[in-house]
Amino acid sequence: MKPGVWQRLDVIARGLFPAFSVFVLLLINLLPISVPLLSTASPALALMAVFYWSVNRPDLLTAVAAFLLGLLQDLLMGLPLGVSPLVLLLVQTGSASQGRFFHNKPFSVMWWGFALVAIPALLIQWLLSSALIGALLPIKATMISYVLTAVLFPIVAWVLARAQNSLLRYV
Amino acid sequence: MAQHGGPQQRIFSPLRTALHRFAFILLIFTAFGLMLLGKADTVLIERIRAASADLVSPVMNVVSRPAASINELTDKIYNLAHLYEENERLRRENQQLLAWQQAARNLSHENVRLRELAHYTNPPALHLVTARVIADMGGAYAHSVMISAGSRDGVAKGQAVISDEGLVGRVAEAGYQASRVLLITDINSRVPVIVENSRDRAFLSGDNTNRPLLTFLTADAAVAPGDRILTSGHGGAFPPGIPIGVVSSVSENAVRVAPLFRRHQLEYLRVADYGLQGILSEKRIRDSQAPVNTNATQLSPEIPAGVGVVPAAPAEPAPSAQKPPAGELP
Repeated sequence: MKPGVWQRLDVIARGLFPAFSVFVLLLINLLPISVPLLSTASPALALMAVFYWSVNRPDLLTAVAAFLLGLLQDLLMGLPLGVSPLVLLLVQTGSASQGRFFHNKPFSVMWWGFALVAIPALLIQWLLSSALIGALLPIKATMISYVLTAVLFPIVAWVLARAQNSLLRYV
Repeated sequence: MAQHGGPQQRIFSPLRTALHRFAFILLIFTAFGLMLLGKADTVLIERIRAASADLVSPVMNVVSRPAASINELTDKIYNLAHLYEENERLRRENQQLLAWQQAARNLSHENVRLRELAHYTNPPALHLVTARVIADMGGAYAHSVMISAGSRDGVAKGQAVISDEGLVGRVAEAGYQASRVLLITDINSRVPVIVENSRDRAFLSGDNTNRPLLTFLTADAAVAPGDRILTSGHGGAFPPGIPIGVVSSVSENAVRVAPLFRRHQLEYLRVADYGLQGILSEKRIRDSQAPVNTNATQLSPEIPAGVGVVPAAPAEPAPSAQKPPAGELP
């Protein structure tokens, strides 16, 4: 039986969901929230989602998508251009190739995996941003950002897992 | 997608991995290319950044409203808990302010009289645009916020952005309906300032911490914690006299300033257009690249205008020194 037009559109729309979720998390990162700590160092929400999808559905969040989402992040946040695309691309490629390791393992393994991946990711971001700006950025903010990113990962991963189960089961 | 059969897969599978690898390397190079482009062509990147701000601003404009109302709620709860102390503090402050009001009234009358006497030219009229903060690009790498006003409302790059408390930053890119504001704490921010009491000049340089540095202070400058810092107006980038912050610490190699605004509570900002073109306008930058001696000062053409070189003045009174006839020089 050939799938109809609507059915195919539905599959495409669902297939775009991972990239869209990263975009939404980018916008959430931009929300002005009146917590003093968050204005100096915010959790890297896009990084969490890129890691999650690269591990679970690398076919739906490709390297090109990660690259473009990184570019959007740089443009929106006023960061030195090119750094986030590189970081998200490396995270996507690295985690997608190691994705099988996390399958059928408890969630804590994935959490540890992310906590490990986030260290080089944020370090590269810090180093390249410092090099491009031409001055050493304060490392303290990056460290706070890392802790927030690692601690908040389960919440984001839980939401994404719920979405994955309900939307992407047959895609 | 179970369409791929056996023989097809055998041919296409290695091809696909090769393609993937090629794409990966290409993307890596593109990323480094973008880094170079970002350093080299700032005008193009600026336009793209402004366009991307315009792109998300309708969404952020709507989404940031609930966030703001949640913030309001937490503020209300906090205020309720501190009502009594706050009231006492405001009473004290009100008494002080009433005394200041009287002083200000006297001074403003005096000022008007003195200006009339001295034929003082008034600074250009102030044009303010109020905008809401719709996004906070909080993070370890950049300190900027997005506001809901752009070139549509008369906002242009380089204009000063102030909150109720004082200077917040300047417009970094102005899109059509949204702009990005570079905060004074950002590592790319430099603002010419003066110390209020001692009138020492300096630069306020951000370093991505909450306490920007006071740089290029002279060695004999007298700066102490608690001194207020104002914009100096040098360079025409900002109008003079906008409060910025208070000196928070003075050590051997660094003087740090606590800005007056609290970043996490920025909600409404005003973009101030003082009619000054600022040092950032593209026209001024173009003009400054090819200095032409227009001889507007009527001095001899070898002396560059405005360098502080006083021409060998004839022993005449000041009015005639402006245009000495060549033949009458001793």
